[in-house]
Amino acid sequence: MEHVARLNAVSHRYKAVFALDDVTLDIPAGKVVGLIGPDGVGKSTLLGLIAGVRKAQTGEIAVLDRDMRDVRARSALGARIAYMPQGLGRNLYPTLSVRENLDFFGRLFGQKHAERHERIAMLTEATGLAPFLDRPAGKLSGGMKQKLGLCAALIHDPDLLILDEPTTGVDPLSRRQFWELIDRIRAKLTGMSVLVATAYMEEAERFEWLAAMNDGKVIATGTPEEIRAQAGKATLEEAFIEMLPKEEGEEVGVTLRPRPEKDGAVPAIEAFDLVKRFGDFTAVDHVSFTIPEGEIFGFLGSNGCGKSTTMKMLTGLLQPTEGRSKLFGEELENGDMAARRNIGYMSQAFSLYAELTVRQNLELHAKLYHIPPERRAARVREVLDEFELTDVAGAMPDGLPLGIRQRLQLAVATIHEPRILILDEPTSGVDPLARDAFWRKLISLSRDKGVTIFISTHFMNEAERCDRISLMHAGRVLDVGAPQELTERRGAATLEEAFIAALEGEARAENAPPETASLSAEMAVAAPNALHRAASRLWAYTARETLELMRDPIRMFFALAGPIILLITMGFGISFDVDKLSFAVNDMDRTPESRRLIEAFSAIPQFDQQADYDTLEAVDRRMERGDLTLAMEIPDGFGKALHQGQKAPEISLWVDGSMPFRGETAEGYALGLLTQFAHDLATETGTQARSNLSISTRYLYNQAFKSAHAMVPSMLMLILMLIPAIMSAISVVREKETGTIANFRATPVRKVEFLVGKQLPYIVIAWFNFWVLAGLGLWIFGVPLYGSLPVLGLAALFYVIASTGFGQLMSSFTRTQVSAVFATAVLAIIPTVNFSGLVTPVSTLAPMGRMLGQSFPGAWFQPISIGTFLKGFGLGDVAQNILVIAAFCLIYLTLAVLALRKQEA
Amino acid sequence: MLKSLSNILRLTVKELRAIRGDLVMVALILYVFSAAVWLVSDAGSTEVKDLSVAVVDEDHSPLSARIIDEIRAPLFEPPALLSPREAASAQTDGDYVLVVSLPPDLERDLRRGDAVEIQILADATAVAFAGNGSSFMTQLLADTVSDYLAPGGESDDLVNVVFRSRFNPNMTTRWFTSVMQLMNNVTMLMLILSGASLIRERERGTIEHVLVMPVRPHEIVLSKIFATGGVILMASVLSLVIVVQGAMGVPIAGSLTLYVLGAAIYVISMGSMGLMLASFTHNMGQFGLLTIPVIVIMILLSGGITPLESMPGWLQIVMRTISPATHFVSFAQSVLYRGAGLDLVIGQLAAMVAMSLIALTLVLARFRKILS
Repeated sequence: MEHVARLNAVSHRYKAVFALDDVTLDIPAGKVVGLIGPDGVGKSTLLGLIAGVRKAQTGEIAVLDRDMRDVRARSALGARIAYMPQGLGRNLYPTLSVRENLDFFGRLFGQKHAERHERIAMLTEATGLAPFLDRPAGKLSGGMKQKLGLCAALIHDPDLLILDEPTTGVDPLSRRQFWELIDRIRAKLTGMSVLVATAYMEEAERFEWLAAMNDGKVIATGTPEEIRAQAGKATLEEAFIEMLPKEEGEEVGVTLRPRPEKDGAVPAIEAFDLVKRFGDFTAVDHVSFTIPEGEIFGFLGSNGCGKSTTMKMLTGLLQPTEGRSKLFGEELENGDMAARRNIGYMSQAFSLYAELTVRQNLELHAKLYHIPPERRAARVREVLDEFELTDVAGAMPDGLPLGIRQRLQLAVATIHEPRILILDEPTSGVDPLARDAFWRKLISLSRDKGVTIFISTHFMNEAERCDRISLMHAGRVLDVGAPQELTERRGAATLEEAFIAALEGEARAENAPPETASLSAEMAVAAPNALHRAASRLWAYTARETLELMRDPIRMFFALAGPIILLITMGFGISFDVDKLSFAVNDMDRTPESRRLIEAFSAIPQFDQQADYDTLEAVDRRMERGDLTLAMEIPDGFGKALHQGQKAPEISLWVDGSMPFRGETAEGYALGLLTQFAHDLATETGTQARSNLSISTRYLYNQAFKSAHAMVPSMLMLILMLIPAIMSAISVVREKETGTIANFRATPVRKVEFLVGKQLPYIVIAWFNFWVLAGLGLWIFGVPLYGSLPVLGLAALFYVIASTGFGQLMSSFTRTQVSAVFATAVLAIIPTVNFSGLVTPVSTLAPMGRMLGQSFPGAWFQPISIGTFLKGFGLGDVAQNILVIAAFCLIYLTLAVLALRKQEA
Repeated sequence: MLKSLSNILRLTVKELRAIRGDLVMVALILYVFSAAVWLVSDAGSTEVKDLSVAVVDEDHSPLSARIIDEIRAPLFEPPALLSPREAASAQTDGDYVLVVSLPPDLERDLRRGDAVEIQILADATAVAFAGNGSSFMTQLLADTVSDYLAPGGESDDLVNVVFRSRFNPNMTTRWFTSVMQLMNNVTMLMLILSGASLIRERERGTIEHVLVMPVRPHEIVLSKIFATGGVILMASVLSLVIVVQGAMGVPIAGSLTLYVLGAAIYVISMGSMGLMLASFTHNMGQFGLLTIPVIVIMILLSGGITPLESMPGWLQIVMRTISPATHFVSFAQSVLYRGAGLDLVIGQLAAMVAMSLIALTLVLARFRKILS
């Protein structure tokens, strides 16, 4: 095999924009191959296509001699390719430990326990992660995250390793260690090809073969020497810039002009002994410095050393635990609005609104900084122009390459022309050209406008452009001074060496690279059969989802306690046992007969007699306030007429009909009492021979006619639909949002394995909930159980599979967690509350409602639940409904499989 | 002050753009306020209407035929005639709420003056219907039988009653359920939307960015409530006028302006609750699990589905203290049905305002904590 990947006339477009334009490229095998070029030229797209995580549009792509457009080829290649997406630790699971992360990846490739154990030991030994096996991935430094990502990628001995900007945002020491590690691994695994995209030109120098890209096209290929020779330049960076098509009069290079000294001026930023602790972890440990106005002050240090925290304290975002800071001599207060107008801040992660276009983002910030309306449009135009964003002004930030997004962030930070700019790694992931342009802007801001710039960076050539820099490590400032000065003080040749020397002095103990890397390529691998591999992949997702759930105790608590709280409040709260209906009388008769009638009403608990009324207006007022449900007027002459055995004047009853159920109940009780009263009277006076008809009502299945007995089984239906569905609704879409979905796309795991694997833990929790709820029903609410509990348990098992399946279905086709939760809640609550027999029996629903109810599993489970508790149902009575519910499970799974995409567009 | 207002306005516009950008959400909001309101108010109700009834007729006399004939709409569905065994199994399956069993020789015995018993079997698992349904059925049977035995004669009862239902003369539940369904939708949407908008900003880090600007936390919080609240309030008022009043023909007694005022306060209180729940959770997973029980409890225990009076005393107090929904239900009943004026509902409005203030204070107090 001569070429690891061959691309022929490959084009790829996102809507109207071409990311790749007719690319034909043969990538040699067995080498470290670098893809270089500015942002947004299609490097990531190209890597995605080769890895098979992106769906090919036009052209032919052959990887390891297989056609990437073929599904089976992709599935086979999944086990031979490793893909590490762009972004620090983006495909790792932050709450899982190093070992658990690696275990997960091992399982994805069907490795058995012993093999996994051995490989993890070997890889972590080689990368120096061995001492940190139990540390959560989210708590690792950036460099260590990338090493872990590399371990994860190497766990299955890939033939092709694809790394998309692996060292972006990583400090120089970790970067150096990373490449040394790759070299060592390559020395052992000789057959492996490595394909890397990078924006660091100095890194590209060490690759064996390069493809330089610009604007969706490959503009040069060859070894670094060949490329340098082609352009006739000494370094790759210069050679690359030389090869780009040039615009008229474009500036090249950056020169730092000297800063005009201003003696006696108030310093722009002063920090005194700043300390920040999170719990028992000290992120910033007594940091002090002074930055004069107009200075460019650089912050250098490894990832997680406290740079960002210090910067956040100076913007007022975080409250220091100890110490204080001043801006222009003014103490920085928490709610100081004037101070904020002086600061422009750019955070490390992209933090602008993804739902607004580039222009709308700028306009919003212009308005929030209260740039006067007449200046606003002009200023937005200026900034768009200055940062070369005019072409993308109408685009959504999410679709833009990292470098352009960083430019947008800087544009936003400077829109109000602040006197201080605090920039947290603003050029991370930005290509050299754009970085130079960026720095020219910074220098012009500093020198021409006197803006003070406080910047953190991992690029040494950028650090050299600062007036002064400060080296930070583990929350402390190691050294401050001009770059030249620091280099000399350490006795080093370059600033990078000085920096690495300083860090190594500090970090030797905690991050020592291993002396002997014991990487052996010859693993005794017993090839497991296909079924075992599938089961292992499924289990990988189950185990991981379970661990993640257990690491989130709040979610776990809500999942277990939510159903109990719901059942208890609902079981007591939803009651149709109407009593204490408020009732008032206007007795105009005042005879023993009228008093006897009133007595009949006030004697039963269903009525609660209130103060008498005398006019109809009073009734109206009291009913308007909702204080009165039933009013009765006994006319004058009532008792007299009865006494004489004559027909009595009509009694008037008013009932508040605004709550119909209560009104009807009141009406029913009142009519019953009046009939009884008339009957008794007739019998006593003997005026009329009554018929001998008696009508008796028997309440079946719930002789005591208690609401709770009927409500609790129905509540089971409601709770076991909503809670499990919401639990599983975020499972898939969360991976889409955090980026870990890349693991699903790049490995041989199948959609069904992925979905079922993630569903299993939720099924277990939901089924456990069922038993708890059933127990509460039996013992707290005293609901009798006449039918078979095992049968109910079986039905509940199918039911929770269906409800978690519904959540996953929602999760599969939505794009954000917000819409997944929203869709699940809205679509599930309405039919389960209204059309599944909770209050209204399905048999009395209007046809549309009945249909809507029956298209949901709830309406099928409710009869099972009621039936087993109250009607003595056994398996025979509920088998049909269980089958329908099982069908729901299958339908939801099928739809979810259809909605889930194994490849990106 | 002016700046603060303009900040709120600007952030509100931004939030509105975010809502418009999410098509799934817009589609669901439309569905909830149109089709869902119609379906729910049309189908699900606690009034005795079209109740499913079966009759076991072992008499086969003119009287039994008459009785069967009398069991009809609007209260009951035309009854199914079944054998005793069929009736028992059908009722077990939940097909009929009431089964009336007419014994053999019913008419002959009655005419002879012998004691006769008609039995009504009510499926008490349908708690909302068994009680009222059987009392209406009892009334109907008694009237039919006495009318049949003494035809044409005016009712010779000594005691007569005129029965009037105030505010809702025919006691149709569509009035009630449609307005309650609107309220349920507002509850559900506001809680999720406002809370989710805070969680989303936190997960994406955008809130941090805004806080560096000369923007105060309360401006962010209020803009979220105004944006989502504005959309939901408008949708619910449109739904009330177009769907409930227009398409379903439910008359609205009281002042629409007053109702909109109350609805606006309710929307704000629900938005504040949503933000408060969001401030207690860290991610969408937690928020979803916390908010679902809250929604279900607020909806089912608002007094809109079952009367508040039938809840245990302690639960009534708890619900009145924590849930704005209970106050909104009595407000809506007073205004829409009883035509009550501001003076009668001011207490409920004040309660909702107080709850919003408490929730908002909590959110603002926790705002800085949310960041770290």
